[in-house]
Amino acid sequence: MASTQSSTTVLLWRVVILLLLLAVWQWGYDLRAFAALKPYVPNFLDPYFVSKPSEIWKSFLRLGCLTDRGGTLHGWSGMTACLAEDANNIWMATAVTLKNTFWGFLGGTLSGIAVGLILGRSDFLSRVFEPYIVAFNSIPRIALVPLIILMFGLGDISKIVTAWIVVFFVVFFNTFEGTRAVDRDQIAASRLLGANSWTVTRTVVIPSTLAWVFASLTPAVSFALIGVIVGEFIGAERGIGKLIVEAEARANASEMMVAIFVLMVVGILLAIGVRRIQAYLLRWQPQFDQASA
Amino acid sequence: MGARLYTTAEPTPKAVTARKDVRVSVRSLDKAFGRGDAKVTAVDKVSFDIGRGEFVALLGPSGCGKSTILNMVAGLIPRTGGNILIDGKPMEQGQVRREIGYVFQRDTVFPWRTVEANVGYGLEIAGVPAGERRARVAEALDQVGLTAFAKAFPRTLSGGMRQRVALMRTLITQPEILLMDEPFGALDTHTKLEMHRILLQLWERERQTVLFVTHDLGEALTLADRIILLSARPGRLKEDFEVPLERPRDAVALRESPEFARLFSHIWHSLGEEFRKTKAE
Repeated sequence: MASTQSSTTVLLWRVVILLLLLAVWQWGYDLRAFAALKPYVPNFLDPYFVSKPSEIWKSFLRLGCLTDRGGTLHGWSGMTACLAEDANNIWMATAVTLKNTFWGFLGGTLSGIAVGLILGRSDFLSRVFEPYIVAFNSIPRIALVPLIILMFGLGDISKIVTAWIVVFFVVFFNTFEGTRAVDRDQIAASRLLGANSWTVTRTVVIPSTLAWVFASLTPAVSFALIGVIVGEFIGAERGIGKLIVEAEARANASEMMVAIFVLMVVGILLAIGVRRIQAYLLRWQPQFDQASA
Repeated sequence: MGARLYTTAEPTPKAVTARKDVRVSVRSLDKAFGRGDAKVTAVDKVSFDIGRGEFVALLGPSGCGKSTILNMVAGLIPRTGGNILIDGKPMEQGQVRREIGYVFQRDTVFPWRTVEANVGYGLEIAGVPAGERRARVAEALDQVGLTAFAKAFPRTLSGGMRQRVALMRTLITQPEILLMDEPFGALDTHTKLEMHRILLQLWERERQTVLFVTHDLGEALTLADRIILLSARPGRLKEDFEVPLERPRDAVALRESPEFARLFSHIWHSLGEEFRKTKAE
């Protein structure tokens, strides 16, 4: 898009806004010291609730075993000792949450594609299963989490299953719609060139449905993360969600904020990852022209 | 010299036997859409034969059912009545025949495959070994001047280039019967002429049996040995006549020749009524 503003100007403004936000967060509440300004400082800036950037940074270094409680840098041995002490340190918690998100995402995506293709290619099956899918889909997935934890325990499996179910429906519906949107003439062309039903599915339906599937993967990966975190809230041994709940129990806003920031970074990285795969697999589509270059 | 116009609505049995080697025979073909009061007759008792190696144009106004006839011959849609025989054998409903190749009006090139993968598609699913496939694809691309675009995705190509890919994707499987549904209808005049040149060149070499649907009289005259004219809705066979132009033909030079102009105006005036009816639509 032709913009009158150069990208440098845009970047400059982004940085300015970021610094402004951080500054208000860090020092805003202190303005209450001035009587004249007190009514203008909202209560939610209270560090008791939202902590402060400097505190969050310190908490991060401590939770990450990079410094000790006093704030001095750990040596290598000090760091290993610290990491061994807490089984749910921020690195372990991130790894566990990521691992569960990944398996849930993968399982949900693959099964969603498979079922979407099967029902999409068979009018009979899609008509038979339609009421069941509609019914199951109307249950807010999160409502199932306590049940899933009851069935699969506090371990990782229950988180994977939660993410799996959440992802499955997103991907399933998109795949199903995608198979319905396949160009009839392309299928006819394939048949006239000698393709049987399976070849048509493999060489025409799947590639042209992929665009639809991928449109669902960016939301699906965030949903997978949401599923895992909610699972960890309700009952878990490890993970970032568990860290957040523990910090809440101790009313420790800094630690909670650390966990939230880590989640933000994880979310961004996952989204970028999906977009990279998308850009490669859909390089034949015009909108991914730039990304694949 | 002028067009020999047969005014029979259906070819007489004599005319059928006169054509020695009939490849495709269409017998009182009917097609109706909907049922009851909403029933619309699209094709009404159409009969014609196509001889081996003959290039026949099915000419008619838009919506006269010419594409419907073609799709029934291809086995893409079921017929309501009548029969289609290929080499004397009746075609089952909805059956897709191996010896038939089809080129669509709409762009049906697979956008997720590169140009060479598109052209090689039919060979790939027929299980032709990769080495032989590569050689044949390279030859096919060379024939239509697309060698430089072998690795490109279709979205980077022009409409004319994409239709050349679609044409070669069909021709590479060496169909003996070629069905073409206004394949150049969406192209601009210049590109269209270029495609005529290419198609004539390729056809002179292989002499497939061709049924070519078009609403463009100039196109039909340029390409075909014979023109079957259909009436406006419902599609009925109106005229069936030979095109007395010599081969090999040069698509561009032909258009400038006095014979072409004479033939065009003669047919235009004798058939004009039907066409004027449709141009208004």
